[in-house]
Amino acid sequence: MINDRTENLLLAVPGILLLALAFFLPIAQMLALSVSGPDGPTLAPFERFLSDPYYLGILWRTVRLSLLITVICAAIGFPLAYIMTKVGPRVRLWLVVMVILPLMTSVVVRTFGWMVLLSRSGLIPELLRDMGLVGRSFALMQTEAAIVIGMVQVLLPFMALSVLGVLTRIDARLEEAARTMGCSFLQTIRTVVLPLALPGIVAGSLLCFTLSASSFVTPSLLGGARIQVLAASIYRSVTATPDWPFAAAQAVILFAGILLLLIPYIRLTGARHG
Amino acid sequence: MVRAVPVWLRLAGVVFVVLTALVLLAPLIVVVGVSISESQFIAFPPNGLSLRWYEAVLSSDAYLGAGWISLQIAALVTVLATLVGGAAAIAIHRRQLPFSELLATAFLSPLVLPTIIYAIGMLMFWSAAFGTVTPMVLALSHTVIALPYVVRTTLAVLSEADPFLEEAARTMGANRLQRLWLVVVPQCLPGLAAGAFFAFNISFDEAVLSLFLRGPTLTTLPVQIYGQLEFSPDPSVAAVSTIMIALTIALIAIIERMLGLNRFASA
Amino acid sequence: MAKVRLHSIRKSFNKTGVLHGISLEIASGEFVSLLGASGCGKTTLLRIVAGLEGVTQGSVEIDGRDVTDLPPEKRDVAMMFQSYALLPHLSVAENVRFPLRMRRIGNRDEQAEKVRAALETVQLAHLAERKPRQLSGGQQQRVALARAIVSRPKVLLLDEPLSNLDARLREDMQVELIEMHQRLGLTTIFVTHDQEEALSLSDRIVLLNAGHIEQEGTPGQIYGQPATAFASNFIGSANLLPVQIVDGPDGPLARFGDGQDLALARDEPTRGAATVALRQEDLTLAETGSGPTVKVRTRVFLGARNRYVMTLAGQTIRALTGNDVDFADGQEVTLAIDPSRVRVIHE
Repeated sequence: MINDRTENLLLAVPGILLLALAFFLPIAQMLALSVSGPDGPTLAPFERFLSDPYYLGILWRTVRLSLLITVICAAIGFPLAYIMTKVGPRVRLWLVVMVILPLMTSVVVRTFGWMVLLSRSGLIPELLRDMGLVGRSFALMQTEAAIVIGMVQVLLPFMALSVLGVLTRIDARLEEAARTMGCSFLQTIRTVVLPLALPGIVAGSLLCFTLSASSFVTPSLLGGARIQVLAASIYRSVTATPDWPFAAAQAVILFAGILLLLIPYIRLTGARHG
Repeated sequence: MVRAVPVWLRLAGVVFVVLTALVLLAPLIVVVGVSISESQFIAFPPNGLSLRWYEAVLSSDAYLGAGWISLQIAALVTVLATLVGGAAAIAIHRRQLPFSELLATAFLSPLVLPTIIYAIGMLMFWSAAFGTVTPMVLALSHTVIALPYVVRTTLAVLSEADPFLEEAARTMGANRLQRLWLVVVPQCLPGLAAGAFFAFNISFDEAVLSLFLRGPTLTTLPVQIYGQLEFSPDPSVAAVSTIMIALTIALIAIIERMLGLNRFASA
Repeated sequence: MAKVRLHSIRKSFNKTGVLHGISLEIASGEFVSLLGASGCGKTTLLRIVAGLEGVTQGSVEIDGRDVTDLPPEKRDVAMMFQSYALLPHLSVAENVRFPLRMRRIGNRDEQAEKVRAALETVQLAHLAERKPRQLSGGQQQRVALARAIVSRPKVLLLDEPLSNLDARLREDMQVELIEMHQRLGLTTIFVTHDQEEALSLSDRIVLLNAGHIEQEGTPGQIYGQPATAFASNFIGSANLLPVQIVDGPDGPLARFGDGQDLALARDEPTRGAATVALRQEDLTLAETGSGPTVKVRTRVFLGARNRYVMTLAGQTIRALTGNDVDFADGQEVTLAIDPSRVRVIHE
């Protein structure tokens, strides 16, 4: 007769199978491929990447932009999340919708919108030109700035929701207590809310950094062919010059970089995902 | 009552929210605006209004074909992700398996791995193992990334459910299958439904996996749009995009109805 | 023939022993209460009878049949949970019908009739189509009760069903339970930590203490003759005082530390050091009298009664009296108690 344990095993098995076959195995395969060469296992793809200034430049750009994007997201996301905890339920619902909507639209659609806004005849350069801040032929397309703007829009919701999750669990009376002890509003934010929200900010930052470092569609479309990020380089290695071991190696480097950030975080907080 | 926040700060807060709203929603608004423009060139604000681009899209074989493929794959993904993810969530929730924690992490791990890395892995694995990439493979890969959403929403609903219901059902004579079908699944239903809608949305909008795992006859709608964007798009792209945005809004509205989005404010 | 028989039930959770050899027989139609403090094992014992927990050792028999290894769905029991456990997605009527469906009792019409009858018994027939969340706590509790009795189980198990109700509702429900038991005659096991509830509802009380049966008997026996200090303390809130029992001119006396005496029943055999249990409600206080003198420390006003906290021979002693006379703090009063009500604890 089936007992409890068997029943649960049966429930979990299809998922386990799916993950094993369509997730873990492919990742393993990719790892194997990254060290494969015509004569057997080799670190040649890695060496190639890490010794070529062009590729190192791509790596550096990816990291640099991701850091910038993460910081901006945190700077905007924290106040946004805080405001969301202070408004009434109706307004909060609209704010949540406003935050979720970009998340749930397709990345190509969002990026297209930015392409329109930032191109030479787009609204934003026009505005800046009209205000006399920039020259005639100013364009934001195909610049790193475009990538940052586009990615911030994409990733801000992640940061906001992450911080919101933590903020909603903070006892509202802590702020009140601080006020009765003499703190001004801003002081309260600094001494009570911010430290308690920190786990959410850190989690959100990790998420933002990971997602922006591995992002492909938005940087490719907004940055153009000349401004490459790591993900675009991987795509090129797969399609233009089919060099799969090299593509795999780059993917591993990206993965390793992310793990480097994630593992100490998980250790420190004993965090569970989600 | 004494107001905690000074007035200027309140005003600044409102302005801040408005600006943030603009940043978050501007691209979408722009897309909708371009889709109803008269001219052949992409410009915003549009000069002249017309629905011609919607007509163009609805009579374009390429777009319709891609849309149909996206729809089919999304439907399959929804069914698979909901069934598999729902079952897994129930097993995890019961915490009776020795490695439940590990299981939970495993099922949520596709969230952590950047899609591009996963895409490469899938491409290499399936090409090496099976040669070409089929629609089934794409559907499976979409299912994998949709799975964590279903698991998460279902677990969220289960964690709020009365833990004694199954025991009560046992004392009323319900056997294993009856308990699952008549007690546990009805309890999960809001979570399953929300997860299903998330899964559909994720699959339909998904671009990265679909770009890597495409084939000559396997082009999804986002990939079709991407292709257009790489070269010189005309406003028909905006029309397709607007249709997709409308779909997303509809899904969000449905999820809000079923579960209440405020629940995910603490996701 | 006993309806339920428990043989030497032992139960441990992860090496922590919870039940240490419980043997019990419950006759058909009997209403038995498992009474005890939190953690004494009473709920675990109930769940073992239900089949929701297994035993580490021992056996369970229901109606002569060994059910120790049978899961709950195969035992003919019904259980009412403390939190009611109503299925939220079904209506009240569908909830009550559920056990009939699962146990395949009757066809649709017969089931509908039984459901209607059960709901009428708890006076909720008019709410049959509502969902549980639309009902008040008291109404949900009655639905849970209706659901438990509708299938006329061999054993009815009630897990602290009244503890979530406020005082008034509780009293009403106690009366309903008594009437229902008289009418239906189901063998019932009732778990509670409230001694008054146990006293008022049961044919027999089983007092549990840390996984052992401390005492078993009718309410009258348990109340009137508590066998141990624990039992005295638990039922009827007794004062436990160390004394020396000596012979006096008219019979045995309990002598307190300060030399004061209390008359005991003539046939009390014990002599020497012992403990006496004096029930709060058995003590009377007066301004003057022949009994021992005590000093009033505090008066607690309870509405219809007063509770006095006093000192006797350096020990704290409490008494429950009517509210016709009030004594002041610091006043010295005389204690009186019927000698036959003084229990000498033998342990």
